[in-house]
Amino acid sequence: MPPKKPTFGEAFQELEAITEWFETQDVDLDEGVKKFERGLELAKMLKEKLAEVENTVVTLKKKFSALDNAQGEDALL
Amino acid sequence: MDARAVISVADYVNLTNHALRTIPHDGMVIEGEVADFKVSQGKWVNFDLKDEKADVKMSCFMTVFALRVPLQSGMRVQVTGYSKVFERFGKFTFNVSDVALVGEGALQKAYLALKEKLRTEGLFDVARKRSIPRFPERIGLITSTEAAAYGDFLRILQNRWTGVKVFHTPVHVQGQHAVREILAAFVQLNAMPVEERPEVIVLTRGGGSLEDLHAFNSEEVARAVFYSAIPVIVGVGHERDESLCDFVADVRASTPSNAAECVVPDRREISATVRISGDRIHDQLRYEIDRRAHTVDRAVSTLDRSIARITQSMTDVTRRFGYAFERFRLSLVATLEHVDRRAQSIDVALRRVIEERSRSVLELERILKSIDPREVLRRGYALVRVANRIIRQPSDVAPGEHLAIQLAEGSIAAVVERNVRQESLL
Repeated sequence: MPPKKPTFGEAFQELEAITEWFETQDVDLDEGVKKFERGLELAKMLKEKLAEVENTVVTLKKKFSALDNAQGEDALL
Repeated sequence: MDARAVISVADYVNLTNHALRTIPHDGMVIEGEVADFKVSQGKWVNFDLKDEKADVKMSCFMTVFALRVPLQSGMRVQVTGYSKVFERFGKFTFNVSDVALVGEGALQKAYLALKEKLRTEGLFDVARKRSIPRFPERIGLITSTEAAAYGDFLRILQNRWTGVKVFHTPVHVQGQHAVREILAAFVQLNAMPVEERPEVIVLTRGGGSLEDLHAFNSEEVARAVFYSAIPVIVGVGHERDESLCDFVADVRASTPSNAAECVVPDRREISATVRISGDRIHDQLRYEIDRRAHTVDRAVSTLDRSIARITQSMTDVTRRFGYAFERFRLSLVATLEHVDRRAQSIDVALRRVIEERSRSVLELERILKSIDPREVLRRGYALVRVANRIIRQPSDVAPGEHLAIQLAEGSIAAVVERNVRQESLL
């Protein structure tokens, strides 16, 4: 089964971790190349996500709309 | 018999109302605190007016048309009007013809008291504030569809970030329904399945007076924000506005637009970060590769230099050997020539010696020949021996002894006759 596609947050965090790894570790070249490739993959994935154009707005039905009617019962008193 | 008059209920109520109308209402206002404020069917306004201290209240009634100020429970007001007993309900009611708010001071005081209470309870504690996800994918939005806040929020959200699902629960943000609707919205959003529900809730509205912000200052809404399982961003009005919800919120935004800025990052910044991260790891890797390449280069050039040095010294050695060998050859040639010359001079010397010796030998030979006894014998001399002894004088022999006389050509045997004394030879 292919691994679950990471969310934007997960991918971004992983990219940050890779960047940090490159800046703080004594870079092993084999490991570095692997991480570099993964970093590029993540950056590509993130760029694609950033290119999404729209936000979706779902208006939830008022579950409490009944309140308006309930209000009527003691109209005068 | 009983002299008292018997009258109907309706008559008595009429009588009472008649009597009530005798209470003067000009030049007099009644001041008290509004409680239980309700609007029914969009027309009828009911509330209780009560004193702060005494346990007394009066039911008030008016139409929304007569109500020209935003009225909320808890407000201190001054009302004018008249009292009557409603026949159908038998209830003493004050018919309000006008209502006026009694300054901000009282409201402010009440607000501050509640604020202090909630603070003491820990609703504002910084320690309980939760962080909101950095990249929320689902956002709950509690605000009024009609308000500018709604448009502002969505516009800024769209401007900054995308791919977000916004669950909007339309509510009134002021007026009598506001509190109950906001509470219901919190319940509704929190009740969604965890994997579907928003990761953050934004409660927002534009600015307004203290009365307008009533819902955001209500204890119930403040508690709803506090108890929401989903972290809450509250953005009310303008920078200078504050509400109790602001203090309870996990994140306080100054305006609806600012709420959008707080809830999602700016895609330009994130794009830049992604790009920079990519560049940075590329550069870093490049640097590491270059560093190693440089090390290899250095090693190779060191090796090159060593080899060059070795080659050079070998060349030097070879050349020096060549020189040395040449010198050796030349000296050898010189030596050979020298030896040759020596040999020649030895030869010459030797020849001279041999010649000299040869001459000496001939001389000696001549001398020897000259002294050879046989030569003497050939000249006529003889050798006389007795028993191989050479006889030099007559006394050396006795008569009768046998003599051997050697001549140049053979010898003669003789016998001594007598001894004769030496005479001169000549």
